[in-house]
Amino acid sequence: MTQEDNAFKELIDDYVVECLPLAERVADTFVELERRWHAGSVADDLLGSVKGTLHTVKGNSAMMGLAPMQELAHALEDVCALLGRDAELQTEQTAALLVAGGSLLVEQVRAAAKGGDRRRTREFVAQVRALESRASESAATVDRRRGDRRGTAEPGAEPSGSVVRVDFRRLDTLLEVLGEGLIEHSALVEAYRRVARRSEAVEELGDLDRTIVALEKTMKRLEAVVMGIRLLPISTVFGRFPRLLRDIAHGEGKRVRLAVSGGETALDKAVLDRLGEPLLHLLNNAVVHGIETPEERRAGGKPPEAALELSAVSHSGRVVIRLSDDGRGLDEARILAKAEALGLEVRSADPEQIRSLIFLPGFSTAAEVSQLAGRGVGLDVVATSIRGLGGTIDVESQPGRGVTFVLNLPLTLAIVRSLIVEVDQERYAVPISHVAETVRAEPEAIHEINRRGVALWRGDLIHVSDGGALLGTASSPTKARRFFIVISSGGKRRGVMVDRLVGHQDVVVKGLDPTLGRPEVVSGTTILGDGRVACILDAVRILDQRIPA
Amino acid sequence: MSRDGLLRFADTVNRETAPAPAPMPGGELHLIAFGLDREEYGIKVGQVREVIRVTEITRVPQSPPHVRGVTNLRGRILPVVEIRSRLGLEPAVVTPRSRIIVVDVQDRVLGILVDAVLQVAKVPLDTVTPPPDEVLSPQTDYINGVAHWSGRLIILLELEKVLLLQA
Repeated sequence: MTQEDNAFKELIDDYVVECLPLAERVADTFVELERRWHAGSVADDLLGSVKGTLHTVKGNSAMMGLAPMQELAHALEDVCALLGRDAELQTEQTAALLVAGGSLLVEQVRAAAKGGDRRRTREFVAQVRALESRASESAATVDRRRGDRRGTAEPGAEPSGSVVRVDFRRLDTLLEVLGEGLIEHSALVEAYRRVARRSEAVEELGDLDRTIVALEKTMKRLEAVVMGIRLLPISTVFGRFPRLLRDIAHGEGKRVRLAVSGGETALDKAVLDRLGEPLLHLLNNAVVHGIETPEERRAGGKPPEAALELSAVSHSGRVVIRLSDDGRGLDEARILAKAEALGLEVRSADPEQIRSLIFLPGFSTAAEVSQLAGRGVGLDVVATSIRGLGGTIDVESQPGRGVTFVLNLPLTLAIVRSLIVEVDQERYAVPISHVAETVRAEPEAIHEINRRGVALWRGDLIHVSDGGALLGTASSPTKARRFFIVISSGGKRRGVMVDRLVGHQDVVVKGLDPTLGRPEVVSGTTILGDGRVACILDAVRILDQRIPA
Repeated sequence: MSRDGLLRFADTVNRETAPAPAPMPGGELHLIAFGLDREEYGIKVGQVREVIRVTEITRVPQSPPHVRGVTNLRGRILPVVEIRSRLGLEPAVVTPRSRIIVVDVQDRVLGILVDAVLQVAKVPLDTVTPPPDEVLSPQTDYINGVAHWSGRLIILLELEKVLLLQA
């Protein structure tokens, strides 16, 4: 690749970064327009802002020589201008044309490196011209002037000068450097303690101590700043849902309105990247299984258009996402029947416990029951990905009134508060979010069933594994360990015997190199205060393991 | 140069200070030679980033048998490969002479644990011969040849193959 090619590729990348959100905004607006017209309300206020956005996309596309996108944006602008003058054209047919054009624009901008699709653009422009000529027949006064209209500022555009764009990989590097700083700080504290123990009442040590305390505060602030930069608004994920939802609803013959709130709630990009898929899955399930057809809804005394609500709020270092529908709700009797058919032991009549059964793997394959029960397709997959992010998922339901999924997620995956434990001289980090309790293990409290450990914990018998066996350390099997930690996730619990609880630490998570294979019991690595590397236990997968150690 | 001097020299070897050798009449190989048990092995200097002393190596549960663990390379997690198990030798015992050779192979940075780094040398190509067929097997395709040079035998390894990065 020549240097010019590289430079061009960079320009195209910049173009996509800038124009894709604009194109998406255009497409979303058209979806909203269609919905409002369908409901018989006015949508003129939407036209003004969308014209401005289209104008920018057109200008940027022209600058990059991307003729198809330029023409497409231009044609859409024309339709909007036409609609402003001729209310007669505000039909579902026009709306469908705009929605199709918006989607085509998003698609083309996203794949800008390919130069755009001339054929489909030409077809679309032809449809627009046909619409225009029909309009001019009915109203001979249609003004066809085109071209530059105004130079007003973009609605929602950032004031230039105060914003810089940075490659996210550089933020990863920044985080790595911060991590090294945190490690060196803990090393400094340890070294100070060693010195302080030996030298008695040396005056200068007080200064050193104060400096170390001050440095700790500075490091904390630095950490907060770096994490703040890595956070992006959740609207980057929510943004594409209105259009996707519209397509799903059309396919199912249902009418749905999506209300989104809290889009400005910020999450680490690494979390956001892994959140879109599970959320879309839940939305899809809500439309396909949860929401009734317009006829059924009318019969049930509900408005024919279903209401879906998606909201996000941040709350003490975590983000809570709620997705509610006003559909038929979960059929608990059927869930119970299915659980019994699957041979699952249901010990409680508690509705909450019964509902949580839908997250079990067995329910995902039970297509016919999930259709009837209203839910269940692949929910175990959703639950697994949410738990993999260190989050939780719960479901609330009222028969006939709808279902709400509640997701509770950590702000970031980059720095995880962990409990450091020691097993046979090896140290491991266990994310605090998965530690239910640490227990001093009295030898007589651990019993054996089928040569596997069990212990009574909070009134329940739980399986307690030996940490050495689980992690494959070189240990003597008879050795008595002094503690066990109870790890928990998604209602599953398991004890793990360890030798020592070293302490709590915010660890900077580093990935596993592919050379290390795909271990089931660890999810990553981190560097401890003394510079040693420790593995991070993968609590979710340890709890999922069928083979007990 | 004394052995210690050599070790110190090897410790400072990296890409920047060891550029690819200028081609000489007949050609030569720019090698870093290391010891495993009684034998001497060589890999191309161009693939070596640096040589570091062995600090704590953390075992990673359920990792493949040829992985010794991971170590902290200035804040970066470096996987350390137990090359000896690939060559049919017993796992290494770390001594003060042990070193980790940090190599860059197919865009992956890995450490190779060796008993000692012996020398950085330019070996004339015409000293390299294939080993006798009788000692080879289909599994030993990672042996590129043997340099018979200044009274020593250096077994030349193809890193991509010995580190199982072919797939």
